[in-house]
Amino acid sequence: MDKTLLIFKNEFRTYVLRKSFIFVLLLGPAVGLILTLIIQSANHNASSGAPSPIAQFFTPEINKSLEGYVDLSGRVTRIPENLSGRLKAFSSEELAAAALGRKEIVAYYLIPADVVDEGEIIYVRPDFNPISGQANSSVIIDLMIYNLLDGDQTLAYRVADPLNTTRAYLTEQPQRDPNSLLTFFLPYIVTMLLYALILTTSSVMLSSVNTEKSNRVIEILMTSVTPIQMLTGKIVALGLAGLLQTLVWTLSGWLLLRLGSGGISISFQLPFTIILWGLLFFLLGYALYGSLMAGVGALVPNMREASQVTTLIILPMVLPLIFINLLIEAPSGTAATIFSLFPFTAPIAMMTRLAATNVPVWQPILSAALLVATVILLVRSIAGMFRAQTLLSGQPFSARVFFRALFGKV
Amino acid sequence: MPTIVVDKIVKTFGSMRAVNDVSFEVSPGEIFGLLGPNGAGKTTTIRIILDIFKPDSGKVSVLGGEMTSEKKDRIGYLPEERGLYQDMPLQQCLVYLTNLKGVPPAESDRRVEAYLEKFDLAPHRKKKLKELSKGMQQKAQLIATLAHEPEILIIDEPFSALDPVNTQMVKDLLREERDRGTTIVMCTHQMNQVEELCDRLVLIHRGSSVLYGGLDEIRRKFADQAVLVRAASDLPAQIPGVTGRQNRNGSQLLTLDPQAKPQSVLAYLVNAGVVLEQFEIAMPTLDEIFIKTVTGQELLE
Repeated sequence: MDKTLLIFKNEFRTYVLRKSFIFVLLLGPAVGLILTLIIQSANHNASSGAPSPIAQFFTPEINKSLEGYVDLSGRVTRIPENLSGRLKAFSSEELAAAALGRKEIVAYYLIPADVVDEGEIIYVRPDFNPISGQANSSVIIDLMIYNLLDGDQTLAYRVADPLNTTRAYLTEQPQRDPNSLLTFFLPYIVTMLLYALILTTSSVMLSSVNTEKSNRVIEILMTSVTPIQMLTGKIVALGLAGLLQTLVWTLSGWLLLRLGSGGISISFQLPFTIILWGLLFFLLGYALYGSLMAGVGALVPNMREASQVTTLIILPMVLPLIFINLLIEAPSGTAATIFSLFPFTAPIAMMTRLAATNVPVWQPILSAALLVATVILLVRSIAGMFRAQTLLSGQPFSARVFFRALFGKV
Repeated sequence: MPTIVVDKIVKTFGSMRAVNDVSFEVSPGEIFGLLGPNGAGKTTTIRIILDIFKPDSGKVSVLGGEMTSEKKDRIGYLPEERGLYQDMPLQQCLVYLTNLKGVPPAESDRRVEAYLEKFDLAPHRKKKLKELSKGMQQKAQLIATLAHEPEILIIDEPFSALDPVNTQMVKDLLREERDRGTTIVMCTHQMNQVEELCDRLVLIHRGSSVLYGGLDEIRRKFADQAVLVRAASDLPAQIPGVTGRQNRNGSQLLTLDPQAKPQSVLAYLVNAGVVLEQFEIAMPTLDEIFIKTVTGQELLE
């Protein structure tokens, strides 16, 4: 049997039978199921008005609790029906503070006399939490609009929510329901998925190459196989294992989306082309980062010394995560386009864009072509590191050593 | 035809010349000692023979020609730095390494199973290697070296870190392999083991070959003009041709005149009625030869 095939079989079997691999393989669909339940529940909540247990679980406690207000301006004369049970009027701040002390209310608003001129309202909470303090602001906004409009509830609704558009798209691609939360979450999910898959599979490549060195079995292997046979067997095996994980995650995601839509009308559709592009960009991303990690594995005497360089290597992969909002909010902007064409950020950034909007087809093609070219150059360089002399060397490792080797200077 | 021919090989790493013009031949079915102090260039020489490293110059011929991947499968190698896949079950690891040596899977299974039985490791076949004791791991390493039934066995420091029981086991195994016709290259600095096992040897010091030949031939070459005698009674005070005497482990080491012959000393003692229990040409130990050669070399340098 061809020795590359033997290495491939051994690597694939060892990797996919690992408990950690099986756990992560099942974790993806499990997390997807939970997310789907939450989103479904939130959608249901929005349409029926009845909060589901899951929606309640994720709703901050303060949003369900009673708050007080003290009006010193004389403009707030009544509480709208939809806020009854959420707000209680107090005639003085002392009374409101006493109620807060007795925990009858969770916070109170102090509406000053000059609120109309200054627009400033004081919000008093017992704890310091600037983020959650903002979460409940719609209650006081609704109260103020309602009262400033002399209790005209219809007008108050219009002022609070003046834009309610119905969107129509001219593109021929399957449409995603713009009002579905899944449409909103898809780019985030795709970005995280690709990042997790490429990072884990590439990292396994590093540990797999280094296993032979740290277990000191490399010298025996060198008398049975060539370094290139070893590299090829490993890259293909781990790539296929990663592809298996991608397929399982993607298919379970697709099934969950169907289940999420109730199986009757698919309000949210995952375009099939995204799955195909996803598989391609995963493979190219893995080939790129997996090769780099294999190079580190070949040079580094043990895994402890690899961390500094691996951090540097994965830095470009993190950039799309740092700028994820930019990529999603302006997916056709210059920055997003550059990120999705630059080979080291392309695997993730392009998938974020494809999940967020309709990208001109030449762009993913160009991006994939640039990635292929980069991977070819990298694999040629990394193959140079897979020499017996390097693999058997125990010399100290540093980022400088790695990058010099990468550019063929060692 | 020699099994291995090493012809004037040179290997340099950076500014350091690890192997310098080393030549030797290993004959079929012999145990050949590749000796030298630590850092002498033994392991580099072995790696060149195994085609792991390419020499800067010189040639190596194995089994009648250049190394090929097919020939590599006919070699068993036990490196100085022992190691197997620690997280893999014992049997799976050994079968995988045997497969990599070109043995079909079913045959690998059969051979590994037989060796596991032979080395009393069969009950541990499903255990991960890291769960085995050091002694068991040493045995597993030997199985990995032998299971593909190699024609050439190259073993680097085979007795390092072995207890006396396992040392004896390895010795027996090497003799067994030699009797089976396997050519063995044993790389070590433990001279007593070489004396016990090797037929011929080469001594490498600072990358260069300083001594090469048959074990007896080398010992004779380094033998002083002396005989070792033990008698039931006292030796005569004056023995013709003897210029000095000293005690050595209950025997008398008699230093002879350069012109004197051991046979004439023996004849004199017999004629004098001495009851001899031992009479032999005093041979230096390999340790003494080793030290003499290495220090002599250093003095020369």
